[in-house]
Amino acid sequence: MTLTLSSAVSALLFAICLALIFSEKVHRTIVAVFGAVLMVAFGLMFGFYNEEQAVASVDFNTLGLLFGMMLLVAMLEPTGFFEFLAVWVGKKSKGRAASLLFLLSLVTSLVSMFLDNVTTVVLIAPVTILICEILGFSPQPFLISEAILSNIGGISTLVGDPPNVLIASAAGFTFVDFIIHSLPLIIFVWLSAFAMLSWMFRGDLRQPSPNAEAIQSLNPQEAYTDQPTSRKVIAVIVLAIVFFFLEELLKIRPALVALAAASLALMWIRPNISDLLKRIQWEILLFFAGLFVMIGGIQQAGVLDIFTNLIVQLVSLSPALAGLILLWSVALLSAIVDNIPITITLIPIIQHLILPGSNPSFLWWALVFGAGLGGNGTIIGSTANVVVVGLSERTRLPITSQTWSKRGLPVMLLSLVVISILYLLVFQSFS
Amino acid sequence: MLHISRWMKKEVISIPVNSSIRQAIQLFLDHHIGTLPVVDESNHLVGILRLQDVIDLGMPDFIHLVTDFDFLHGFGAVENQRPDPAIFEKDIKELMIEAVSVHEDAGLFRTAALLHKHALRDLPVVDNEGRLVGIASHVDVGVALLSFWIS
Repeated sequence: MTLTLSSAVSALLFAICLALIFSEKVHRTIVAVFGAVLMVAFGLMFGFYNEEQAVASVDFNTLGLLFGMMLLVAMLEPTGFFEFLAVWVGKKSKGRAASLLFLLSLVTSLVSMFLDNVTTVVLIAPVTILICEILGFSPQPFLISEAILSNIGGISTLVGDPPNVLIASAAGFTFVDFIIHSLPLIIFVWLSAFAMLSWMFRGDLRQPSPNAEAIQSLNPQEAYTDQPTSRKVIAVIVLAIVFFFLEELLKIRPALVALAAASLALMWIRPNISDLLKRIQWEILLFFAGLFVMIGGIQQAGVLDIFTNLIVQLVSLSPALAGLILLWSVALLSAIVDNIPITITLIPIIQHLILPGSNPSFLWWALVFGAGLGGNGTIIGSTANVVVVGLSERTRLPITSQTWSKRGLPVMLLSLVVISILYLLVFQSFS
Repeated sequence: MLHISRWMKKEVISIPVNSSIRQAIQLFLDHHIGTLPVVDESNHLVGILRLQDVIDLGMPDFIHLVTDFDFLHGFGAVENQRPDPAIFEKDIKELMIEAVSVHEDAGLFRTAALLHKHALRDLPVVDNEGRLVGIASHVDVGVALLSFWIS
């Protein structure tokens, strides 16, 4: 590729925007919107990008799927369903710390496989603190494990994690592809991460509760404030999951399934729409849209070709090695910066790879695992971590970034080692 | 107009600004009161220390985090907890809220509205120089208003 003025201008603009996003000096959504507008303006000025191309580069599949799922979660949120789950498993633990850790982590992870894990953690973590306080436990091991394990759980399905939604849309992966290629591997990773967390927190978990019988004073049914609405939303979510499985057979996109499910639930429940829309994470949708437009610009200007060529060369040396390098570099980057811009930047690079005699599926899966697992290493690596830490800062035992690094970093490294071994073992099945 | 100075308590128990939380606790205990106006050397009001802010030191964290806890019928280990005594040696400045007061010439409605707006149970009353001259509880103010209505 020859360095043209267009590619230089667009690359510089994108680099400045990324630096601003990662510095967190300006909110990432503001940077994305501002950067998108500038990219189109420069594109028109230098002739590498126009309005039509900008609109075409927005991945409405991703936005539609995320928006549909957000609507469903927003309808489920005020029903007390999440609180009910946490209180219910809390009671099932009979006040034993090890069982409580396992059950709370499991339920958070299972819910995160299908629903936004940030909402899940936002609603389950306060109840976790409540249960810990009445039992006389420190909430820290429980909060850290919930965030880390729900992040891992989310990697197993197409709808579990925003990077998965992005990658599936670009790679053409279906819900079933994730169940076949990601879920089995993630089960191993989850179990090894859980084992390591239980070992690291063994001191806390061995302590018997001074008030184990206090768990009996919890009434899960009373936490479940709006069961009729909750049942309707859950029925619709289950229906959506069934249709996700039928995606290939019916030739429909997951975005349509999610939006259809959300519309059905809206019609059935008829919630107060302005209250509901306040619970939608608009800043995330807008952030995605802005990044799509920016990435479309640098792609049109030919900037990404350099990286595409670099990966082609790596793959020609050894495909498996190229996959592992991608997985680890994405993971390590995701530990320090937001994994969404990383994923959105890498997508067009991998999308335009022309590999002799193979398809780039193995690189897509490397991206899924790297982006998903990297966030666990640091306090700012994933939104769930930020939420849990934010809550703990309002308690007497705040989780510090040292505490997180001491627990999260080893778990992240272990899960990356485990996924790398599994990745190599099943490598053939990816292509 | 009904001035608040007619209805307020003129003997105010206040606390000097450089006192410790332990000294404040002793005053709450000795006088069985719920609000301590915090004053400087020349009796100017500089803050308010509410009983509830002191009690909060021993409250479980979850009450600020969960939207409701009706499903919790016993507080378990929390019932046997006491705050770390070291915290009693801290300055009341760390707990007091900013000074809210009403002038002694203010009317009952203004006083009632201020109590309501700041969710206070007692409101310090000050003179022109901002010196503490009395304290009006929400019961003092409410009863004064009621007696005016039915007179």
